Amino acid sequence: MPMEKLSLRTEHAEDRTIVHIGGEFDLEAASRMRAALNSLIEQADRRITLDIQQLKYIDSTGIGILISLAKALHARNVSFDVVHIPSHIRKLFDMTGITPFLTKPESLI
Amino acid sequence: MVNERVVTLSIPALPEYVDLVRLTLYGIATKLKFTFEEIEDMKVAVSEACNNAVLHAYGDLSGNIEVTFQTLGEELIITVKDFGKSFVVDESKEAPVMHGKEIDEIQSGGLGLYLMQALMDRVEVKQDGGTAVTLSKKRPASEETA
Repeated sequence: MPMEKLSLRTEHAEDRTIVHIGGEFDLEAASRMRAALNSLIEQADRRITLDIQQLKYIDSTGIGILISLAKALHARNVSFDVVHIPSHIRKLFDMTGITPFLTKPESLI
Repeated sequence: MVNERVVTLSIPALPEYVDLVRLTLYGIATKLKFTFEEIEDMKVAVSEACNNAVLHAYGDLSGNIEVTFQTLGEELIITVKDFGKSFVVDESKEAPVMHGKEIDEIQSGGLGLYLMQALMDRVEVKQDGGTAVTLSKKRPASEETA
């Protein structure tokens, strides 16, 4: 189990901004993620998708930041979803009840 | 006689050391033949206990967190102990989960203890000259070595 620091990559697709998050989204990564996502919120003028296929680990710190992001984008009427959720992370989202705020029916397309 | 084995790790109470606890846990839990899913569950629970100590135990002062991994019979018992000021862990408080709520009603904090309880078999919090959180999980019945 190699340690993987958080990685972030932003992709500007035709209809949305996709942020790819990989590695470990933990307390250590929190301030970096907060800063990155805050600037994303400020610039949000179109749909935002988080692709977390390469995310290896998340804890309540990361989940809390995702909740804040979902709330902030909802308040700005920006469409938001999270795609490619690994199963062990999906389990934590389901356990805390956050899943409906991160996945929308259109994200299945 | 129950065969007891103990591994102890002491880390500075800083965010960048919590992943060492996860690495150690991974090594020990793999030796004990826990499944991938059980190891992932324990990694989150143990990190939550460490995060609490990192965030609340020492304020602006420096201090250490001692993590003990104890194998007792079929159980892995992990204790996360700090030696700082005790912080309030309200076990009776309603879990801050978001099931059935609207986005405007949900809160982004306080999930740590809930996750520990949901992911482990047993969680105990003791406060006496610091805070000690004990997390236990039974290992799977070993078919190969029986």
